[in-house]
Amino acid sequence: MAKQKPYSRVVVTGLGVVSPIGNGLAELSQQVFAGVSGIKKFDAPFAEQLSCKLAAQANFDPADHFSKHTYSMLDRISQMALHTSIEAVKHAGLTIDEALQPRMGVYLGTGMGGASSVEEGYVRLFKDGASRLKPFTVLMSMNNAAASAIALEFQITGPNQTFSTACSSSAVAIGEAARLIRHGYADVMLAGGAEALLTLGSIKAWEALRTLAEEDEVDVSRSCKPFSLNRSGLVLGEGAAMLVLESLEHAQARGATIVAELVGYGSANDSGHITQPSVKGQAATMQAALHDANLPLQSIEYINAHGTGTQMNDITETNAIKQVFAEHAYNLSVSSTKGTHGHLMGAAGALEAVITLLALNSNTLPPTINLAQPDPACDLDYVPNTAKTLPSLDCVMSNSFAFGGTGAALIFKKLALKN
Amino acid sequence: MSVPNLEEIFNVLAKMIADKMEIDVATITPISNLTELGLDSLDTFDIIFNAEDHFKIKVPNDQVNIETLQDVTTLVHKLILSQQK
Repeated sequence: MAKQKPYSRVVVTGLGVVSPIGNGLAELSQQVFAGVSGIKKFDAPFAEQLSCKLAAQANFDPADHFSKHTYSMLDRISQMALHTSIEAVKHAGLTIDEALQPRMGVYLGTGMGGASSVEEGYVRLFKDGASRLKPFTVLMSMNNAAASAIALEFQITGPNQTFSTACSSSAVAIGEAARLIRHGYADVMLAGGAEALLTLGSIKAWEALRTLAEEDEVDVSRSCKPFSLNRSGLVLGEGAAMLVLESLEHAQARGATIVAELVGYGSANDSGHITQPSVKGQAATMQAALHDANLPLQSIEYINAHGTGTQMNDITETNAIKQVFAEHAYNLSVSSTKGTHGHLMGAAGALEAVITLLALNSNTLPPTINLAQPDPACDLDYVPNTAKTLPSLDCVMSNSFAFGGTGAALIFKKLALKN
Repeated sequence: MSVPNLEEIFNVLAKMIADKMEIDVATITPISNLTELGLDSLDTFDIIFNAEDHFKIKVPNDQVNIETLQDVTTLVHKLILSQQK
């Protein structure tokens, strides 16, 4: 029998972010609550070859943060993941010393890993006719490159794993990292996700799935319209978000400022169709998180929805919320922030977890922008177009669902200390 | 194509190393040890890769164990002479 492990409460103490609507918490917060969109006409040289010329690009130049020697060995995904990890550790005020290094790990989610390094290799081989590839090709493109770069930076020797469940990857990484702390396998985890898939090949592959949004005729920045009757799909985005998760004892012992407690995580699978989401799978995901948190349904006041802006997701998620929460579905608020920052795929769950935590800490719900035409089939309170203040906000959920079927829900609560 | 001499090859390689490692090219000499310049084995592979591109040569796998810049310079010169047609 395995030795009985201690049970620890898990808290969030640090956040770092690079996103299409801002780098750093102050900028992200300002933009997401004001409902400012980072979706634009794609300015890449290959944009002419795209049917859907929209993208949510992050304003991130690696030269601003790293030496050339460092960043030239890292794909864009790893550059963003490493930068946001450094920011999260700073935000947490965490000193990573020799005592902590073996008790700290990295769990990171990504859908497509070093997409641009893979593509650069293919172009070199198949288009340019080169006979060999750059020596760093494997090390830059492998899916675990980003998590490895983070561990190397801080010399942390605890568990280091990469999760790839498409659009729920980073929510899964955060939830699994919390379990690790909860059951005593680590004291501190850097958990989150990163994605840098705005390459010709990746976008073309997404175009073929016919899930990308059509350009809004009046204002391209308004092209992604979650829960609106005239929604036409998602807009691909890039970025990274990392959280410092810590056992409550560890955080208290060092006098850390606690952002919130991660009280629940649940994951379930649709197992119905490779792309079509199911009410059953999404409901099971949320129920698993609620069961994990051991909270009554009525505790949840806000859900940051997966809300991709596709016809199928938004109706399915609405129905799944109704199935789980029954009448309370009409009391709580739901919003999708993807109309502002696009769909960050493997990084979406982490970015939206950060936004959910910003909401909890500011008692303000971010709006679902571009909700001009209510859909009769989507009849919940989606915080349409303008942020909403909820002075007593205490407990919130963030949903992530994915092609392939893996769902993940995270529940955060303001820290309440007994006695 | 004329064959570059050792000094010309050294200058190209020194500039590649200076750019990659962000160090002053003036600090690099023929007897500079690559490890002491800050290059690890992967950095060395990268320099060899770039040298292969620049000088249109192919460095065989059994000849990549090099310690000093002089070793690389001599190796590149030898390969240009034997591989250039």
